[in-house]
Amino acid sequence: MFIEIIDVIISGLINGSVYALMAVGLTLIYGVSKAFNFAYGSLYSLGGYIAFLLFSLAWINNYLLVFCLAAPILLVIGFFLEKLLVAPLRKRDDWEIKVMMITLGLALFLDNSFQVVFGARMKSLPTMLEGSFELGEFILSYQDVAIFIFSIGGILLFRWFLNNTRTGMSVRAVAQNPEGAQIVGIPKEFVFAATFAISTVMVGMGGILLAQKYFITPTGGWDILVKAWVITAFGGMGSIKGSLYAAFIVGMLEAFVGWHFGMTWTLIALFAVLLTTLAVRPQGLMGKWG
Amino acid sequence: MEHKPIALLLAGIWGIVAILPLFFGSTNFIMHILIMCLIWSVVASCWDLIMGFAGIFSFGQVAFFVIGAYSSAILSAKFGIAPIFAVFCAGGIAAALGILVGLPCLKLKGAYIALVTFAVHMILEPVLKGTIGRALGTGGSRGILTIAPMKIFGFTFSSSNPVPYFYLMLLVAIICSAIIFIVIKSKWGTAFLALKDAEDFASCLGVSSYKYKLMVFALTSFLTGMIGGFYAHYIGMLSTRMLGIDLFVTLMIILVIGGVGKFPGAIIGAFITIAFNEMLSPIGPYRPIILGAMVVMLVLILPDGIVGLVEKLFPKKQHELTH
Repeated sequence: MFIEIIDVIISGLINGSVYALMAVGLTLIYGVSKAFNFAYGSLYSLGGYIAFLLFSLAWINNYLLVFCLAAPILLVIGFFLEKLLVAPLRKRDDWEIKVMMITLGLALFLDNSFQVVFGARMKSLPTMLEGSFELGEFILSYQDVAIFIFSIGGILLFRWFLNNTRTGMSVRAVAQNPEGAQIVGIPKEFVFAATFAISTVMVGMGGILLAQKYFITPTGGWDILVKAWVITAFGGMGSIKGSLYAAFIVGMLEAFVGWHFGMTWTLIALFAVLLTTLAVRPQGLMGKWG
Repeated sequence: MEHKPIALLLAGIWGIVAILPLFFGSTNFIMHILIMCLIWSVVASCWDLIMGFAGIFSFGQVAFFVIGAYSSAILSAKFGIAPIFAVFCAGGIAAALGILVGLPCLKLKGAYIALVTFAVHMILEPVLKGTIGRALGTGGSRGILTIAPMKIFGFTFSSSNPVPYFYLMLLVAIICSAIIFIVIKSKWGTAFLALKDAEDFASCLGVSSYKYKLMVFALTSFLTGMIGGFYAHYIGMLSTRMLGIDLFVTLMIILVIGGVGKFPGAIIGAFITIAFNEMLSPIGPYRPIILGAMVVMLVLILPDGIVGLVEKLFPKKQHELTH
């Protein structure tokens, strides 16, 4: 019993860390440009498939190399997606709903393209690290530890980027006040595209990290989109700190509900918690209206 | 748009649709597509009313449709209620749930509302398939396989002879579009416009945003649930496959083609999209790819839909076409 609870807590922590990485990406776009990306889940699958393709090349055999190659690919894809699809809509009055529509169309396009190109069967990635750490009945696989370290590392890297680089600071400036940022000479359009690109990298990395545990399927991203969305709304859309807390709360909640009531109840429990939170605090845990 | 051109356009559309069976009445396949066009035109118009006019990003329209379809099927099978009454009860159930969903949305904004309403859509599938659904009689993942056909005054509308059902659906669609038209024209429509343009100012002038938002939730989910019931009794079987993302995006294409917030546009969009969708069906797995690409292209090229394009092509009439 005690060991089981420890197991559940650890699985909650590990899932929570990956959710945090992905939810921060989603909340970043919303916080900076107020755009909502419906194709976020498909970009998660895209990350998985890119890693799958890279691993099928003979000379690639470790994850560090895959991360180093996949990140720039995702960065470029994200940048051009924003420039081609979202940026032209931004000058319209009703651009928010148009962005939701266009990204939903993009999601349908990507999901079914994956299905045609890679087939509907699940794809798996090799495990990052073999073996496990055992202490009596208690087992902790090195793979889980690696996933946890990589996600937390990714978030810390992102935090460093926001606080210490010039681009990161301009991202924060635009998030605080788009007009003001433009007046002092920050290229607003570039910052929008850059945040979209960064968030694409974050969700793609999450896709690579989770694919070794949960496989890659063409439509597997929807679950991730909904979870990331729930987490961002729960934590407050646009609030990075809120998303971090919310991600770990949701990871834990999911682990405990799944363990005690069965996996079918996790989604229902998530929405129940979300609705209660939003009824009391419509802006989420740490969000601001605006 | 002014009201008179909308009314004329509506009359024109329904007039043309009403004589279509003269040409295609003998081909059951085409009549089936036309009935589907009528059904989806009502759903899309309702979605347009709540999203385009009221400015509420509701993503639960398909969910209300499915709720209506299931409730009507269960009411007629389990409680023996005649389908024609079951359909209206289903609308009532959908409206009650619509108000329930609308309540938390009153205090929320933008993407949050989209999430809460989309959540209804996402939860519906596990609920219908799970133990709760099976207890209510949804048949779990198998779905409901036998639904009584629509029957009015002893006349049975069977799916082997679709022309009578087509005219029934046409009547329903005309009534629904008339209701939506009246709503847009009435004080409601003005209130929505005011709330969308300047919510704070409008509420200072005494326009209650809670009241109007709840009313539009109730009305659109009632109409959508009711048309869902008509769908169930026409098709004769239901499964949770309707909740897939495919149908959702198809409905969105209808709105994109017709133009968001350009009322009769959604009806034109429904006819174009459903017919186009059927034409694409031979190419199988490539169809959703093309649909997705179409949404992306259309939003970029034709952001205001067909009605918007017409307004742009005839700018002379601009002063009387805009609000």
